[in-house]
Amino acid sequence: MKLVLAEMEATPKRPAGLAAWLAQERIFRLVPFVMVEGMFLLLLALPFALTIYISLLRWRANRPFEQAYFQGFVNYARVIAEPEFWWSLGRTFYFAAAAVTLELVLGFFLAMLVHQAFRGRRLYITIFLIPMMVVPVVVGYNFSMIYVDSGPLNQILAPILTPFGVTARIRWLSHPLAAQWAIILADVWQWTSLTFLIFLSGFAALPPELINAARVMGASRWQIFRRIQLPLLKPAIVIAVVIRTMEALKLFDQAVLLTFGGPGDSTQTIAFFLWRQVWQFNKYGFGAAASVLLLLLLSSLIYGGIYLLVRERALLQQPEGRG
Amino acid sequence: MAATDRPHAPTAKARRRRLFPYFRHAVLIAWSLIVLFPIFWMVSTSFKGSGEWVAWPPHWLPHQPTLYNYQQILAVGPLATAPSREATEQVYNIWKAVGDSVAIATLSSLMALLMGTFLAYSISRFNVGGKNFRYLVLTIRMVPPIVIAIPILMYYAVLMPYTTDLLLGVRVSLFDTYVGLGLLYVATTLPFVIWMMLSFIDEVPYTLEHAARIMGAGRIYTLRRVVLPLVASGMMVTFLFIFILNWSEFLLSLTLTQPQVSTLPVLLNKFQSAVEGRLYGPQAAIGTVITLPVVVLGILIQKHLITGFSFGMLRK
Repeated sequence: MKLVLAEMEATPKRPAGLAAWLAQERIFRLVPFVMVEGMFLLLLALPFALTIYISLLRWRANRPFEQAYFQGFVNYARVIAEPEFWWSLGRTFYFAAAAVTLELVLGFFLAMLVHQAFRGRRLYITIFLIPMMVVPVVVGYNFSMIYVDSGPLNQILAPILTPFGVTARIRWLSHPLAAQWAIILADVWQWTSLTFLIFLSGFAALPPELINAARVMGASRWQIFRRIQLPLLKPAIVIAVVIRTMEALKLFDQAVLLTFGGPGDSTQTIAFFLWRQVWQFNKYGFGAAASVLLLLLLSSLIYGGIYLLVRERALLQQPEGRG
Repeated sequence: MAATDRPHAPTAKARRRRLFPYFRHAVLIAWSLIVLFPIFWMVSTSFKGSGEWVAWPPHWLPHQPTLYNYQQILAVGPLATAPSREATEQVYNIWKAVGDSVAIATLSSLMALLMGTFLAYSISRFNVGGKNFRYLVLTIRMVPPIVIAIPILMYYAVLMPYTTDLLLGVRVSLFDTYVGLGLLYVATTLPFVIWMMLSFIDEVPYTLEHAARIMGAGRIYTLRRVVLPLVASGMMVTFLFIFILNWSEFLLSLTLTQPQVSTLPVLLNKFQSAVEGRLYGPQAAIGTVITLPVVVLGILIQKHLITGFSFGMLRK
């Protein structure tokens, strides 16, 4: 009798059935995990396994799947022997390097000018953040309009360029080099807002006591910047570099919208190249092999990036009073 | 000479300090103009008639403002009843795409929010999936979407119909369906949700829940009445953030739909490759219609954009 009472006390009334089963800790904690993991498995891992299988087949989309036959690593050999694969990969890195460098410099400079309190600061910040909210496709469209040969950009540039003896309109989208820079500049326009934002929050997190102390002790502005601010901003810089590089390597939207890879192949990024092989030429086996290869090539970069993020995050989360 | 030099140095410094605010405003205004110009140009073009789209010298403001472009894309006004053969006078009804975009972006964001929030809670409180799980999730975000799109295409368009045909006798394909695209949006935005919600949930002290539990509240009751109110605003911000992402998504939507389902970015792209020549006016009108709502939403959650984009690593 006593035992039963004790038991009743130990287990308070709980909802019965499914809710009770779910409320058990060992179940409860796993439900969301299993759901999300299951989704990742079904939606990402399984298709990727399928892709590896298809990459070993000789198969084009215009033929039924059943008629495809196994041919080993021929597709991989073909991808590796395809110069355009390597060219577009290199081009993607070139675009990313140029765009990310410009974005970092501009974003840092703007954040440095804005981080102190002054009149109109909030308005400037709001304006500077607008580009990253604009739909990338719309950015592509906007710039395709601005870059028109008889468009506003050439009109603005004309009075600047004439004193240097350049009178020709720049053919922004039909000259290979100009087209590449057209894409880079559109990317810079949109994503400087992000580096600006990251640096701004980096500046906001700087401890003011440290800088005041240094100033009192007679440090010059440059010394404060070089010896105090810059080292403390390192996590923000690393995060900005990693996030922006990863995003810039995905470059696709602007290549489609602005130039459609042209003129020639001059603005064909790796994403655009793969898209064209699969969706325009229906080379499924080739496309599958190329995407597996691309993932292998990028994986070290991806894990390097994540490693850096983790390291900087650990630095950021150290207890406040370390300084 | 040295005597005259010495007082000179501080005045130069003082002058520099006095001029600095002007320099700062000059630079900031210049960048503001650069930032605002493309948007201004789009809005301006959307009110131009077809004769003014490409003019030399360009018209900064429409000389004869017109709502024609908006009538064309929204299919309102006299245009709707009188179809024409001229490309510049046709009706380009975008309502279908608006509906598709709103439905897919809203539903998949909601679903990702629900799943991601619960998982973030589990990770934060029970360390589900191990110490490194939260970093593993990031991989999905780092992989170029084209590497996801190619397998998904083969999965949706080939393997799925093939296996369902074998097993059930019907060919079921998720290619070009709301479910197919929506599920993929859920999967690709989940990392953002998990990371953003982790940064919000980690801030809720565990003692609160503990107290509620000791007082006899059930687990789900605690979650609903103690944790949820504290992270509700964070969930709202996260929802808006991934809504903007899903609303803007282009590559997956371009590659995995057509012609049944079409989101707004894909629709805009169709104009870009139109054979009849470019239709700048209607395009500008569509661009304005797509952009305005997300810019407003973005300004609303401005303070939290940093949390989103840096995966919750940096906070305002």
